[in-house]
Amino acid sequence: MSPPRLTGALRSFSSVSKKEDINERLYDLKTKRLKRRELFAREGLTWQKIAHLCLDHQDNAKQQAELKSLLQAAKEIVGTEHGQAAVESAAVFLFETFHNKDHVGTEETRAIKQMFGPFPSSAAEASCACVARLVAPLGDSRVENYIQSLSSRHNPQRGPSFGRNIAFSYDCYALDPLEEMPRSDVNEENVSLDF
Amino acid sequence: MACAQVPLDEQQVTELGPLGKEHTLPALHPARKEERFFVPYKSPPEDGSPAEVEEFLEHAKFITEDLEWLLALPHDKFWCQVVFDETLQRCLDSYLHHAPRGLDLATMPSSTAVADMQRCVHRAVFLTFLRMATHKESKESFLTPSVFGEIIYENFLFDIPKFLDLCVLFGKGNSQLLHKMIENIFTNQPSYYIDLDETVPTVLQVFDTILDKCGLHCEGATAMEPMKLNAHKPTAMTMSQQDLVDLILYLCDSTTTIHAFLDIFPAACSSFHSHGFLSRLISFYESAMPDLEKAVRKRNFDATGLQEDLWKRLSHSCRKIVEMAQLLLHHTCLQPILEGGENMQSCAEELLQHFTSFLPEKRFLSDFDEQFPIADYISLLQQALPVIDETRTSYLLQGVESAWDSVGRRMPHGNIQYQ
Repeated sequence: MSPPRLTGALRSFSSVSKKEDINERLYDLKTKRLKRRELFAREGLTWQKIAHLCLDHQDNAKQQAELKSLLQAAKEIVGTEHGQAAVESAAVFLFETFHNKDHVGTEETRAIKQMFGPFPSSAAEASCACVARLVAPLGDSRVENYIQSLSSRHNPQRGPSFGRNIAFSYDCYALDPLEEMPRSDVNEENVSLDF
Repeated sequence: MACAQVPLDEQQVTELGPLGKEHTLPALHPARKEERFFVPYKSPPEDGSPAEVEEFLEHAKFITEDLEWLLALPHDKFWCQVVFDETLQRCLDSYLHHAPRGLDLATMPSSTAVADMQRCVHRAVFLTFLRMATHKESKESFLTPSVFGEIIYENFLFDIPKFLDLCVLFGKGNSQLLHKMIENIFTNQPSYYIDLDETVPTVLQVFDTILDKCGLHCEGATAMEPMKLNAHKPTAMTMSQQDLVDLILYLCDSTTTIHAFLDIFPAACSSFHSHGFLSRLISFYESAMPDLEKAVRKRNFDATGLQEDLWKRLSHSCRKIVEMAQLLLHHTCLQPILEGGENMQSCAEELLQHFTSFLPEKRFLSDFDEQFPIADYISLLQQALPVIDETRTSYLLQGVESAWDSVGRRMPHGNIQYQ
């Protein structure tokens, strides 16, 4: 809980701020994850494109099996209540996350959790291994280039970020007392009032 | 993309509608807002349990990602989001409400990951407010200044408590940028001066409330309220330890916040001054500070270090009050004299009157004189206006010396050089 603040009092007792509506819906993490998945699904990389890339000039039967395993792992992560589109989108996310990783590290765990919430670690391990086997015959750079060319996260169409050249200072106000506490008074503590 | 050289508020865009059919609509239109769902900010966990740390990191990551996305949007899309996305406004508000201040009790984040993430959110929030305070980003991307003023005011993108929060959160190292931001906003929307004027009585009420909680007399509205004859109000010595801690934290936050605001935006000094803020502040200083200091010195405290910490906060508050008084005097009385305007004589008179009114407030007077020697002010006045009455200034300087004597302190040698 935040300590008592002047601006809290001003918001409560003056009429210059927008009054907070206590009935307003606050977006929780679950809603946010759903929205992130929805936004991710709209990005350039799709399951069909990944399948096309993996099945191009390769041992199709073996790659097919790996793609199927990746979808299965994605289903375990995204939850069985979701439809095929959600599962495929999750598989795309896992492919993008693990295409240049050989194990499930903290960053990857966090990224998956931020997208899907709590998930079975075995499914993450399985998807990481699947992606490694899918990528191996294709070559790292080819996959990397392919992902970068399609994923809007890697290839933003938007302008440069506002304020990127602004020198921002993280300094914050610190206590700057006028004087030290008189030592004699500190020693008098034992004879002071108690409550 | 909207067309160039026309202010955003006058632009029209043609886009594909939900049914795939092209339609033309104003560039600033709710239909152009993206559904993003900004999450509200939560402050870093105090005890640092892994689950709480994880939750903080997740929240903060979402906020950083979303604000970075927002900052990379083109000018027209940025303003659509800012004006029409209420989740964004709630996210920014929650940061201003809950972000830890440098002076909070537990300001050190529990881990490097938490500290790093907090820094990312901190920067992204500042840059978002900076962009919101900028009506012209380039020759092509701009809003009509008056429309910009209307948009930010009508949609509560900025308000007086937000200016205060921005100053106390970001002002230490970004004061010049913040000054430009706030100045630009007040210039394009003078209604904020009216709001500021309405806010000052509430600020004064905060100091009255602290006096009241300490069982002390105050000059404001509270003093007018009838009180039972046998009512025994708690004092700084008798209130619960938690109440005393909260009161001192509140005082420390209030003085630091107001000082930061006045320091960064000195134009606000005249609003505070016109409400008699200076005399109320000094009267507060004289009444509350000795009582609170005594309570901190004499009481027993549960936690080790709490007594020392509270003392530092009180002493810091003393410094900020003294500095606030100096800012108010400087910007309302001294600055016009230094600038040599027509009202030099009346400002000099006002300054001397203020100093004379300080004479009975001996504790404040000696503390003020220690930081900002009154002899220096007198010397400046004598240089700017040679007609200043010497008997009056001598009386004043004697009064200052007597204030030092009566609080049992020795006047620093430098402060008496002009006598």
